[in-house]
Amino acid sequence: MSVSPEWILFWVSAILLLFSLLSCTFAVIGVYRFGFVLNRMHAGGIGDSLGMLCAVSSALIATGLRMDSLKLLLLILFMWFSSPAASHFLSQVEYFTNEHLYRYTDRRGKAGQTNGKEQTGGWI
Amino acid sequence: MSDKLQRILEGDVELLENVSDAAEVPDSPREELKQQRKEFVSRVYQRSEMERIARAEKKSFLLLYRMVAVVSCLLLIGVLLFTVANIPRYGEENPRTLEVVRRYVEQGLQETGALNIVSGMILDYRAFDTLGESHVLFTALLCVMTLLLLDKKTIRGGALDDYHRVRQDTYFDLSKDAVIRLLGTVLVPSILLFGVYVILNGQNGPGGGFSGGAIIGAGFILFATAFGFEQADRVLSRKVLSRIVFCSLAFYSFAKGYVFFTGANGLENHIPKGTPGAILSGGLILPLDIAVGLVVACTMYGFYSLFKRGNIGGDRTSSGQ
Repeated sequence: MSVSPEWILFWVSAILLLFSLLSCTFAVIGVYRFGFVLNRMHAGGIGDSLGMLCAVSSALIATGLRMDSLKLLLLILFMWFSSPAASHFLSQVEYFTNEHLYRYTDRRGKAGQTNGKEQTGGWI
Repeated sequence: MSDKLQRILEGDVELLENVSDAAEVPDSPREELKQQRKEFVSRVYQRSEMERIARAEKKSFLLLYRMVAVVSCLLLIGVLLFTVANIPRYGEENPRTLEVVRRYVEQGLQETGALNIVSGMILDYRAFDTLGESHVLFTALLCVMTLLLLDKKTIRGGALDDYHRVRQDTYFDLSKDAVIRLLGTVLVPSILLFGVYVILNGQNGPGGGFSGGAIIGAGFILFATAFGFEQADRVLSRKVLSRIVFCSLAFYSFAKGYVFFTGANGLENHIPKGTPGAILSGGLILPLDIAVGLVVACTMYGFYSLFKRGNIGGDRTSSGQ
């Protein structure tokens, strides 16, 4: 079997795609199996960052250099910008509203500090 | 008897007034107890009777309600099945409906100058429909403003100060967060640029006024969330927003009215079609796309702002903040 550049590119992209499938599977399993929300976010983040990166770079390698490649790169950039920010705000909501945060972490959340007596804020 | 009668005789007027009929004054505590019990029993009986009647009414109403629901559902199902049975089968040629479609597909490019047939349809052949949709958005914005806008009377009553006090207490005033400021710095220009691209590309490819306007509106919402409404006010205050919406709708109405007038009377409308594929092509489609996009963006941002703080943009006129 001859080793041509197309052959190498195909297998690289295939392995990347399989790896992204694997990480997305881990993400799904983690999201369903973990009980606590921050653990779930961690598991979901694997699919959001690693799985997305591998899938898009596999598509990049498979299609070769074109105008579309730039769009795919921009996709990675924007996903990596917005996804951690969304996770940041989600975890902040958890920190501010969960009264029993000390059961899962070594911190008391903002709501746990006041023993839940004070009304915690919402989005206005 | 003796006790009360004696007090009445001694001049206790209150007791006299309370007792209207001397015969009703019970003679002994035993009699009093009996009467109380009788009253209680009759009251309970009355109440249970009323409850029984109410329950029966509710039951009959529920029965009627269910019957009407079943009958109307059956009617609806029948009408829908009848309609489905009457439409032509999939893929079958129906000269009555295909005439319009064939005209759109075959002569759309020539007649409208737009590569995107859908844009040619919604902004040229059926522009009146799109005008109505834009006015629906405008009317929705007006309704939300009527319901939620804090007017001067309310502000003078101190409602806004309470509002700000509540706002300061919350933990989630996002405009003070460093993360969202960085996010806004990076993302807002790209989102706005992409929205402009989608609007300007409407006649040549997928896109158009509605989708591009929604993207621009989302970008403005992110901007207002990240940097506060006072900053967003510098670009899109309430006055500017209402002027933009009015001018867009007026331009749309006049431009399309002109085209309809000339077209109905067999005149030439002197609007160049341009070469298909260029940005400046498609006759009126591009300007109308821009007008629709502006209306959609302003409506989205206005909704967000009104629902979030009861005003479009910041409120410099108020005493607080």
